[in-house]
Amino acid sequence: MRKSVLLVLTFIMLASIALAGCSSGSKDTKSSEGTKDTGTTDTQVTPEKKEDPVTLLWYTIGGPQKDQDKVLTEVNKYLQEKINVKLDMKVIDWGDYSQKMQVIAASGEPFDIAFTSSWAFNYVEGARKGYFLELDELLNQSGQGIKEVLNPAFLEGSKVNGHNYAIPTNKELPAQAVWRFNKNLVDKYKLDITQATMLESLAPMLKAVKAGEPDVYPIPSNIGMYLPFDFALEGIPVGVPMNTTDFKMVNIWESVEAKQVFKTMREYYQAGYLPPDVATKQGNDFEKTGKWLVDKQHTVPFADIQWTESMKYPIVSTPIHEPLVFNWSVTGSMQAISAKTKYPKQAMEFLNLLNTDKYLRNLINNGIEGVHYKRLTADTYEPIPDSGYSMPSFTLGNMFLLDKLKADPADKWEQYKKFNDSAKNAPLLGFQFDPTNVMTEIANVKNAVDEFGPSFNTGSVDPEKMLPKAIEKLKAQGIEKIIAEAQKQLDAWRASK
Amino acid sequence: MKGLLRWLKLVGRNKALLLMVLPGFVWFLLFCYLPMPGALIAFKDYQFSRDGFLASMIESKWVGFKNFEYLFKTEDAYLIVRNTLLYNAAFIILGTLFAVLVAIVISEIANKKLAKIYQTGMFLPHFLSWVIVSYFVFSFLSVDKGVLNQFLTWIGADPEFWYTETKFWPYILIIVNLWKGVGYGSVIYLAAIVGIDKSYFEAAMIDGASKWQQIRNITIPMITPIIVIMFILAVGGIFRADFGLFYQVPRDTGALYSVTNVIDTFVYRGLKVTGNIGMSTAAGLYQSVVGFILVLVTNFIVRKINKEQALF
Repeated sequence: MRKSVLLVLTFIMLASIALAGCSSGSKDTKSSEGTKDTGTTDTQVTPEKKEDPVTLLWYTIGGPQKDQDKVLTEVNKYLQEKINVKLDMKVIDWGDYSQKMQVIAASGEPFDIAFTSSWAFNYVEGARKGYFLELDELLNQSGQGIKEVLNPAFLEGSKVNGHNYAIPTNKELPAQAVWRFNKNLVDKYKLDITQATMLESLAPMLKAVKAGEPDVYPIPSNIGMYLPFDFALEGIPVGVPMNTTDFKMVNIWESVEAKQVFKTMREYYQAGYLPPDVATKQGNDFEKTGKWLVDKQHTVPFADIQWTESMKYPIVSTPIHEPLVFNWSVTGSMQAISAKTKYPKQAMEFLNLLNTDKYLRNLINNGIEGVHYKRLTADTYEPIPDSGYSMPSFTLGNMFLLDKLKADPADKWEQYKKFNDSAKNAPLLGFQFDPTNVMTEIANVKNAVDEFGPSFNTGSVDPEKMLPKAIEKLKAQGIEKIIAEAQKQLDAWRASK
Repeated sequence: MKGLLRWLKLVGRNKALLLMVLPGFVWFLLFCYLPMPGALIAFKDYQFSRDGFLASMIESKWVGFKNFEYLFKTEDAYLIVRNTLLYNAAFIILGTLFAVLVAIVISEIANKKLAKIYQTGMFLPHFLSWVIVSYFVFSFLSVDKGVLNQFLTWIGADPEFWYTETKFWPYILIIVNLWKGVGYGSVIYLAAIVGIDKSYFEAAMIDGASKWQQIRNITIPMITPIIVIMFILAVGGIFRADFGLFYQVPRDTGALYSVTNVIDTFVYRGLKVTGNIGMSTAAGLYQSVVGFILVLVTNFIVRKINKEQALF
């Protein structure tokens, strides 16, 4: 008897180990969870009677908010009155959003509207996979307001195979990389940051700061190098030079520009301008300590003011290149309507309102007046600290409707419009690479890129020795095939224009 | 009819035991067997369909073994399989060895209260997430502020660049994994040891057997069946690497890939660009099938040696 009890006990323990294995491990269980989900698809809301409001389920990205229900009650009061719609907003945290939405979408779990972008829950891929509803017609019917307020370049630039699958957020259109400086050190060493046009021109500044502050690493982390190329696919070094005329796809690591950048970084690394273990450094602790001189960021109008506010010490910046409209900058923040939604019309009506209605847009963004923020003037406000509601402003809809903070310049949104109008198009704008035929090669090349990329970008290894090895590995992993495929698609796309 | 009756009778007689198995059984059914048809996605170019998951699965095109290609058509194919197998083999062998050792030591501690404290202490790391463990490790190995490097400079040696030197990592990973897993692994063996009939030990003591002789001739033979079962089951997972250990603990450092890249990290890195469900399913299926075959083979070998101790 004792033996059998022992055996049962053993088996329960084993089972629990096996179970733990099942749950944490394999991606196949995850993707197949949908088998049980399909059952719930139809239970959402049964077709409504005319007067009952429709409830839209909206997934968006951001830190979960304590007072979300309170704000939603307000929002729903307004929405019901305006367009007879109710909203159920689910906020998923930054780090989890992509993965969770991939599973939700792939398994066919119901939702009506979802945040999508080039950097979280990939828009082009989602559109290709058929997760999103094609919006061309719907935009004309119920989204007229959006078409009026949005810079046309947004809708034009975010087309996939000639159709729109999501509503871009009206915000900064181009991307512009800048060198961002810690002004305290800039002033102390009387540096002229307007001289910082290229990576090489940073050398004298880095030298001065390192000499005066031996315990400061002027370049504090892997800041990601700017290479003058337009990438066909994020994270894979395949693309065309920014000033291309013949639109020839190249292996960017083989370019003179990349070689030069890696070489310069190596010199900086050896001179002690970067922390010795910079290739493994994560996060941006340096912002808190203030022990840094320069890093690379993307800017928007008045970014220096925002950075200064959030870091509590002055920040200045110099542009590295002119503002350029990339595929990924156009699709930086969008709302898509699910291909499976039962209420496409209402969803579009809601998005239309969100992008044109000042009251609604500010309510969803800043919460309730007096509870979550104090009103200062007609279009400025001051958030109440730790009030339990504050959404990221660029992820929801038309930013130009938002009230301004006290520190914001009065012409903030006009400057945004000017910034948008000043932009030039990157060479691959509108070309969406379809990776279907080279999935195998992309998976393998990506592993090689992750292996070498951070070391080159930080100068942790000698490019003279390692770069030929890395290039060889990229080739062995099939980068030539990706280049050929990208070239083929690019040629076809250009011919069709 | 008669057979059914007899079966019902059997169920009735064993209902207590069956009830104990029920929760696990239901869990397996829901989360392991029900989703199993989803493995078909590995052979499909998964395309989303408006009519839900099942329809998407049925309507997607068959692509044969195309989704598996990336696991074999790479320079790294040998490397990741080698790393996965060798590390897991080391974990299984050393893990079992240390778990049994710890179980025996704890069971021999006369002060039961102290034994409980030791046991709990060894068990604790099991509950830590790998992200937290990776920061523990980083606080030891950081180049400028790490404990180890400060010690090295203190005794006058040169500091090491731990995160760029591949030679240390097999040891680091094995030590970290043992530290995290041994307490948990020893619980089962401890339960087995506690279950051994005390009269064996009494008889041995009367015959004048030393502690060491008791352990060698009673404890270890008595728990061998459990060790063998645990071993066979562990072999089933030998193709599945612990993602957190191999991704978080080396802080995803490229310079260390040659000794830290395993199947699971390779798949993660390769697919985070495209998020291809078919290809990730293919990797999971590949690991499961190899694991399944290995379990059968191991069991077959155990059967050849000692029929009693085989799992089935």
